[in-house]
Amino acid sequence: MLTNIISISLGAILVNNFIFSQFLGCCPFLGCSSKVETATGMGLAVVFVMGLASAICWVIDTYILIPLGLDFLETLAFILVIASLVQFVEMFLKKMIPSLYSALGIYLPLITTNCAVLGVVLLNVQNHYNFIESVVYGITGGLGFMLAIVLFASVRERVDFSEYPECFEGFPICLVSAGLLALAFMGFSGMKIF
Amino acid sequence: MNIKKQFKEGLITNNPVLVQLIGMCATMAITTTLFNGVGMGLSVLIILTCCNVVVSAIRKIIPNEIRLAIFVVIIAGFVTIVDLLLKAYIPALSEALGVFIPLIVVNCIIIGRAEAFCQKNPIGASFFDGIFQGLGYTVVLIIMCVFRELVGSGKFGTGLIDVANGFKITMDGTGGGIELFSADYGATIMLLPFGGFITLGLLIALMQYMLKKSAKKKEAAAKAVKEGEE
Amino acid sequence: MKKILKLTLILFLISAIVAGVLGVVNEVTKDRIEEQKQIKTAKAYAAVLPSEGYEELELDLSAYSNIDSISKATGGEGYVVKTSFSGAQGNITMVVGVDNDYKCTGISIISHAETSGLGANAASTSDVGVTWRAQFVGQDKNMAITKAGGTIDALTGATITSRSVAEAAANAISVVESLG
Repeated sequence: MLTNIISISLGAILVNNFIFSQFLGCCPFLGCSSKVETATGMGLAVVFVMGLASAICWVIDTYILIPLGLDFLETLAFILVIASLVQFVEMFLKKMIPSLYSALGIYLPLITTNCAVLGVVLLNVQNHYNFIESVVYGITGGLGFMLAIVLFASVRERVDFSEYPECFEGFPICLVSAGLLALAFMGFSGMKIF
Repeated sequence: MNIKKQFKEGLITNNPVLVQLIGMCATMAITTTLFNGVGMGLSVLIILTCCNVVVSAIRKIIPNEIRLAIFVVIIAGFVTIVDLLLKAYIPALSEALGVFIPLIVVNCIIIGRAEAFCQKNPIGASFFDGIFQGLGYTVVLIIMCVFRELVGSGKFGTGLIDVANGFKITMDGTGGGIELFSADYGATIMLLPFGGFITLGLLIALMQYMLKKSAKKKEAAAKAVKEGEE
Repeated sequence: MKKILKLTLILFLISAIVAGVLGVVNEVTKDRIEEQKQIKTAKAYAAVLPSEGYEELELDLSAYSNIDSISKATGGEGYVVKTSFSGAQGNITMVVGVDNDYKCTGISIISHAETSGLGANAASTSDVGVTWRAQFVGQDKNMAITKAGGTIDALTGATITSRSVAEAAANAISVVESLG
């Protein structure tokens, strides 16, 4: 059990990183990474929501959808769960932990359309993970996302001061830098714990 | 309603991927063979057109406060329908695209068009918007697939074109594709995530270069006209 | 309050309509999807070990790692093992044919999530895939890729996929051998 969890975590953070190997969550990855500070905020918010969404969707899938033979409604149910979850988390944080809300607040609505969140719950179903594995995969997948976005933001802060052809301004140069980071992450491919 | 203008916007001046910069996850993830690219592009085109029409049709009766939630429900519905149909009739495609079919739900292109275009425009215009934006997306996917596949494995049309059985187009993913040079000389890195990022980066850079050039040209022409008038 | 109720009702109504439509589509496609799955599995079984029928053995599979099912060919040709394991990108499900001398008669990959054009070649029906899988025929439980001291050449750019497949096939054979 423990080795299983370690291998899921290692896979989600490094080997099959959500951004660099599965291309899940690219929009916020490129959109929210101009500063290390905002990137950290976004990363934390994603870890939080992905962990919670994995847990709730697993329960809904296992105890409601599958017993009723409604597994074709998975996509619809999951996206509704994620959207309402994000709303709920936003309201909860605003009331109970204002300091955390002021740090994460503006990123929360963006998470609904983050495909890493929907991706992780769909992958949990596809890989037949049990409850603990799902939650671990959700949280570590989020950590992998956070690692990627923080690293990338640091790179972008440097890129701002470099010279590059005019037509590469904006997204293209970001994509090229992201490609080089993906190349670095390839070094982890195939790492396994048995 | 101006179909010609919408056509140009969808394909070039307001291309969803290259200019609006949305829906990039799938663009980079699945563009490794032409089969994937065409399949994904057409799936998005169909879903986008259906969603556009429905959203436009009910645009006057949905309350503003919960419009996004309603859009998401409608989109998820169409995505699931396409997902089920693919599983039943083109299983090879459903397998090749895997989780990226259900993930069309959160593809910003669809919700973006619903929000920006369909809730303000009549059904006809929304229908054509769906077709042309979908086409613009498909064309970008195809360009990326052709480039990555060729450089990465020296082939064209893997999965889609069956050369061995006399140049047929197949939809069961068994076609070997046309081999232009041996895969041993291919830069396999182009098929890996690195290739996805770099190819899209270069493509957007090229687009920006061309848009800027044509803008400059127009400016120069306008200036010339002005000077001529003086 | 009345407004919230109204909004909830509208959202609920639309969700219900969508769910209803999906139910209909699901009803229409359900049998066909199941059929496609069965065709695929049957094809895979027939490809690795042709026989007139297969009978699944009733075993406690929890004692073995990665094994989904073991079936005996009714014509006495040997066994077919269905196994799921992790490849380079995600889970791979594969069937392995094993003859009565505990040699591999072939492998066939049912589902995978490997990189298109690289690891995915292991499952592809193109020449590359067919030649690669042909190497497994006649191998025994000690099979391995050349990098690990065996005789199976790894796929270009997909050593990890190749290694996982070879290890899983070897595991399947040793499980069958342990059954006797």
